[in-house]
Amino acid sequence: MNTRGQRILLWIAPAAGALFLLAYFLFPIFSASLSPTQTPDEIAAFFHDHGSGILGVSVMINLIGGMLIPLFAVTAVQMSRIGNSSPVFTYSYILCVGIGTTAFLLADYCWGIAAYRPDRNPQLLTLLNDMGWFLFTAPVGTILMQNLCLALAIYLDTRAEPVFPRWVAHFNVATAVLFVPGAFTFLHKTGPLAWNGILSFDLRVLTFAAYVAVMFFVLLRIVGRQTEDVELRL
Amino acid sequence: MSVPAGSFASAAGVPVRPWYRSRKLDQWICFWSVPFFYNLFGLVFVPLSSMMPPKSPSASTQQIVGFFQGDHLLIACVILTLSLGLAPVSNAVYLTQIKRMSVSPAFRVAFLGGTVMGAIVGMTFPLFCFGLGAFRPGYDPAVLVMLYDFGYLAFIGSLGCFCVTWAMFGLAIILDRNRILPKWLGYYTVWQFMSELMAAPIWLTQSQPFGWNGVMTFWFAMLVYVPWQFIIYVWIYKAIKRQPEDELDNAPSRTRVRQRDTAGAAP
Repeated sequence: MNTRGQRILLWIAPAAGALFLLAYFLFPIFSASLSPTQTPDEIAAFFHDHGSGILGVSVMINLIGGMLIPLFAVTAVQMSRIGNSSPVFTYSYILCVGIGTTAFLLADYCWGIAAYRPDRNPQLLTLLNDMGWFLFTAPVGTILMQNLCLALAIYLDTRAEPVFPRWVAHFNVATAVLFVPGAFTFLHKTGPLAWNGILSFDLRVLTFAAYVAVMFFVLLRIVGRQTEDVELRL
Repeated sequence: MSVPAGSFASAAGVPVRPWYRSRKLDQWICFWSVPFFYNLFGLVFVPLSSMMPPKSPSASTQQIVGFFQGDHLLIACVILTLSLGLAPVSNAVYLTQIKRMSVSPAFRVAFLGGTVMGAIVGMTFPLFCFGLGAFRPGYDPAVLVMLYDFGYLAFIGSLGCFCVTWAMFGLAIILDRNRILPKWLGYYTVWQFMSELMAAPIWLTQSQPFGWNGVMTFWFAMLVYVPWQFIIYVWIYKAIKRQPEDELDNAPSRTRVRQRDTAGAAP
């Protein structure tokens, strides 16, 4: 069984991680953070002062967002190997990936467009910035369901040798729970649940990074052990 | 095949499993998430945030600013953000039935593409437009009016993406020879498609009866849509129930074949 293709797709994820680190060191904008309490004039000043850094990050994130899709695609293919009674969880998973990654990219565009012409009316810059944060938060709902669908598919795996080890299901449920606080950013302008807060931002970004890293190794192992041809049940 | 403990035989001698051991449990979980999702959606849109039924497109600027200052818009956005993923699950339920039909896989790929589009423009956009206005009520009123228009037009005026999904679904039912869903339901779905076309004038006018809260656009579409949604799910329920056990991807006969293949391919 030749699984080289799947392994190539998987290795795009560490490349995305490397690009993220590169962005982090090239454009130190990551450390400066916008607060929801800033006035339009302060926001305009921020985009004016950090314009080139934000644009650099925007370009990188634009690429990174797309580079995560192959990892999710391999996950979906391995999910379809489980063989529940129907591909219903796999379909849900694929749809969630489409919606979540698009919203993530749109968030990136909002920040990029704000930085592209920082002399714009501060009201519009604030709008773009808020919109970016809203869209950055919206994918919480889809990645939540993505993880739950994968977890349920694993729990219902009745094969003698399950495709995914059982702990991967627990892990997916746990990460799904950690994404939940992110949705409450809309209600708070300060504190841990504000969009720059420890629960809504730091915890969410770290959870996501850890999730991608763990799933990369899990999938590498599963693909390596796969002996039958993929019977795509989609 | 041995009868698993805890199950009992039906009159026909076929073992009847309790619901939690049903082979179709994946389909049932997704199926029952749908009424939960629609009820939640209904509660969020109608009583909680009063986004629906739609406010008037010709509302004054003051009324629009007042709408964004309503208390519960942001809570509605939190609930919508968290439940965003249930929309894909409800669409996966349709996809699963389309897969059983004797039509080209192109139908379900097109359906899949249309629903991704629909969830972004028809659900995520209105969510963030209304949420943004409520999050920062200090925006210039002109910005709030734009968000109001963007939110309602994206929500009610998303036409093409739903046209493609309902066209694929309706056509698949009509062309299907496996009789997964009754043929009349396919023709009924064509009406659902028509209701999307009927909503097109909302982009052109701000007043009754063709505005986005119009009798001919919003309410007529609702009249077609609500019963259709109920009926379609009753028939999907029946279709899942009727699906023979040996047709399932996890049927014992199929799993055995799969395991033999695995053994044969192993080094």
